Amino acid sequence: MYEKKHPNVKIEPEYATWDDYWKKLSPEAAANQLPDIIQMDPSYITQYANNNQLADLKPYLGKEIDTSDLSQNFLDTGKINGNYYGLSAGGVAVSYQYDPELLKKAGIDSIPENWTWTDYENMAKKAAAAGLYFVDGPGQAPDVEFNYYLRTFGKSLYSKDGKSLGYTDDQLFVDYFKMYAEMVKGKAIPSPDVEAQVKGLEDDPVVKQQSIGIVQWATQMAPLQEAANRPLEITGMPGPNADKGLFIKPSMYWSIANSSKNKSEAAKFVDFLTNNIEANKLMLGDRGVPGSPKVQKALEPLLTPANKQVFEYMAWAQDHSSAYNGPDPSGAGQVITLLTNVSDQIAYGKMKPEEAAKQFRQQANAILATSK
Amino acid sequence: MSVQKAEKEIQQNSMSAPVMRPKNKKSKLKKNLEGYAFISPFIIGFLAFTIIPILTSLYLSFTNYNLFSAPHWIGFANYKKLFTDDPRYWHSVRVTLIYVFAGVPLRLAFALLIAMLLNTASRAVGLYRSLFYLPSLIGGSVSVAIMWRNIFGDQGIINLLLKFLGIPVVHWFGNPSAALWMLIFLSIWQFGSSMLIFLAGLKGISKSYYEAASMDGANGWQRFNKITLPMLSPIILFNLVMQTISAFMTFVPAFIISKGTGGPLDGTLLYSLYLFLQGFSFFNMGYASAMAWIMLIFVGILTGFIFLTSKLWVHYESEGGR
Amino acid sequence: MRAKSVKWWIYHILVGGFAVLMLYPVIWLLMSSFKPSNTIFTTAQSLIPHPWVWTNFLDGWKGIGGNSFGLFIKNTAVLVILTMIGQIISCSVIAFGFARLEFKGKAFWFAVMLVTLMLPNEVVMVPQYILFSKFGWLNSIKPLVVPGYFGQPFFIFLLVQFIRTIPRELDEAATIDGCNTFSIFSRIIVPLIKPALATIAIFSFYWSWDNLLGPVLYLNSPTKYTVSMALNMFLSNESVSNWGAMFAMSVVTLIPVLVVFFIFQRSVVEGISTSGLKG
Repeated sequence: MYEKKHPNVKIEPEYATWDDYWKKLSPEAAANQLPDIIQMDPSYITQYANNNQLADLKPYLGKEIDTSDLSQNFLDTGKINGNYYGLSAGGVAVSYQYDPELLKKAGIDSIPENWTWTDYENMAKKAAAAGLYFVDGPGQAPDVEFNYYLRTFGKSLYSKDGKSLGYTDDQLFVDYFKMYAEMVKGKAIPSPDVEAQVKGLEDDPVVKQQSIGIVQWATQMAPLQEAANRPLEITGMPGPNADKGLFIKPSMYWSIANSSKNKSEAAKFVDFLTNNIEANKLMLGDRGVPGSPKVQKALEPLLTPANKQVFEYMAWAQDHSSAYNGPDPSGAGQVITLLTNVSDQIAYGKMKPEEAAKQFRQQANAILATSK
Repeated sequence: MSVQKAEKEIQQNSMSAPVMRPKNKKSKLKKNLEGYAFISPFIIGFLAFTIIPILTSLYLSFTNYNLFSAPHWIGFANYKKLFTDDPRYWHSVRVTLIYVFAGVPLRLAFALLIAMLLNTASRAVGLYRSLFYLPSLIGGSVSVAIMWRNIFGDQGIINLLLKFLGIPVVHWFGNPSAALWMLIFLSIWQFGSSMLIFLAGLKGISKSYYEAASMDGANGWQRFNKITLPMLSPIILFNLVMQTISAFMTFVPAFIISKGTGGPLDGTLLYSLYLFLQGFSFFNMGYASAMAWIMLIFVGILTGFIFLTSKLWVHYESEGGR
Repeated sequence: MRAKSVKWWIYHILVGGFAVLMLYPVIWLLMSSFKPSNTIFTTAQSLIPHPWVWTNFLDGWKGIGGNSFGLFIKNTAVLVILTMIGQIISCSVIAFGFARLEFKGKAFWFAVMLVTLMLPNEVVMVPQYILFSKFGWLNSIKPLVVPGYFGQPFFIFLLVQFIRTIPRELDEAATIDGCNTFSIFSRIIVPLIKPALATIAIFSFYWSWDNLLGPVLYLNSPTKYTVSMALNMFLSNESVSNWGAMFAMSVVTLIPVLVVFFIFQRSVVEGISTSGLKG
């Protein structure tokens, strides 16, 4: 489509699955052979940016890339060390997605907009009593959910400079993971080995009507809905201070390789991906809600009911969230593995939360301090 | 006893070789040239494609290379950290040793057993051979991971079977050592390649040995012990060496079964998987290279050891019975 | 006669029953490819699809990004056959050198060859990628095919072991008849190691057919993709995966492998008996 309008440009797409994509990208970076335009994930972008693999987009903003429709907040999500290394492909926020029918079955009428962790625990007990799980628990992406929890206390998982953890009171860790462990024990959350047996969306506990809900990124609602094939609802996370905890982050970035010889052409294409209505019709919110209100409007009539719910939720989240901490620092990958590991150990009852908190702090700080 | 007769025949055959060998007619130089001419493709390929990457990885193991920036020399720091400051590393070593030393003998014994069962002149054998080889053909793809998760799941066929036998259900995905055994089963299940090699080897054993032996009433075990094992020993050596090396390198099954994490609780964190995580997920390529070179040295010593002992038990038809 | 037939039954019940047990997962895979995509996991416990559907095969054959699955099969076939030819020729020549000829440094080179197998691929991958990018070989099948023409240690070692089981009298008789070294190789040894050559043909075919990492690294254009890459494309992180198509095409890609296996396995078994190696 783009080639038709710009006959001088030939675009060669590369398809790959998530695992294959990242496996391929590192040797390409090492050999200075990155494609001109790269889809970057918030968990990797810092690493690539810090090592001079990505081009600063600043010279192109407002020129090749039309920013008149984009908010400063939206642009700033790609800011690392004062430079703009990526342009958000769309915003997403974390959410609780659930089946209202199953919720009723557990004897819960509805989830109030300003629900709290106490409500959450009580509902979970009711669900377990009805033989249902309430949620998938933080075991799958502990960094996301624990970070949300920390933010409701005004802290964060990583410090601003990314060189250490962003909280000093281990009691927060203990409280949060104790709650998790007790819910696994009370069968309100599936244990990690049950999660490990999940092969795909089609046999997700929510789809199989074994679990009332799941905590995940808002955009993941549409496929879940498609797999479940029954109405699902989407709502915010438990509070108090949910609006301090909630944030909108880029699902992905469009970045330009530093080794690219056609940076300005690449920038034009990034502009096309960001501002062109036809291009966004093809993606239809797969990568989150587009930054341009004009594009958002144009997409509305095309949205599936599930996608519409997602867009509405994101619009609500816009007013009920606070600033994004920025992309994960270097070394985050290793910290996340570590956190998943201790979180599993807690869930299996192999480690006390107190002990895990100490161990996690010590090792995570060591990793963050030495990564670049 | 006929077995002895057969044995003697084996020995005579092998003894006869050196006797009949023509005297050194060719000059040494010509022999060397000829030898190098035949193996030259390997040497050229090695110099062109292999040696530079290998030496680079050795160099990188002394650096802090992160894939994106130029490496900096840090001496033995990676090695020091591996040996003194990385419990997860030692855990992965333990997991790998269990995997190799439990998996390889079981797989080979199994492959040999099936190969012998299939080494008869029955019409159905061709079909059986294919059936047994089939599992090895579906390889390490995603579909295998899916399948495996189904079969070993809490409601999978394995647990149904266990329940039927009155054995309590095993949570294969929740228990680190059960998960490791699941990986070992997977490797045994894909025994086809070793089986095929054994079969090809068995076919090469002359029937006359067996005929002579059974004519004089040697039983099955004697035939196996005195004829099959020695005649097959070069192939057994091959399978033992290759399966050991490749077991140490195993990566794909562990990666796909654990969704790339090595879980549960690092139960399936094989050496190569940990190496991959360090190199490509944590961007510590220097560290990963150091891990690789420790592996190289260890496996090298082990292989050398196997070759040393092979002088005691491997019988070469062409080289005078040793 | 009677005793033999009892034995016969025991043999077939044992071996046949065991084959079925080994095959259960394979049958599961086959049956799943006939199930509607969204019921594959919910009905995982039962083997029989309900209802039977063919749409997975139609869906899957359409391929990805406008390229039909047939193209991916063709790409893979070209790659695999070129590699297989190269490996069979080069490995048999090299193996003969190692197994039969005496020369200085033989043990050293043999050890070097084995050592190359002992370094995990993950650490040589990046330097090798850089090397091939300097050759200008990226986005082509050269990095996957060309090295095959310079031998493959596993196959070389395998052939060496087989050649060493062949008695030397044969060579010597040939020498007396005036054969030079090369004709000993081509006329005496090659016919005798046919079963082993058939074995490596099967392995070579299957391994490069199944290889995923190599193509993922070196092939960029979707029109050059191989089946193993294409299969993974049916799975998605962002939307519902097309499991049905993935299973159906997994089954389809098994067919060429099976055909090759059937053709060559016969020579694995029959090669020796027809070549008349003593007795």
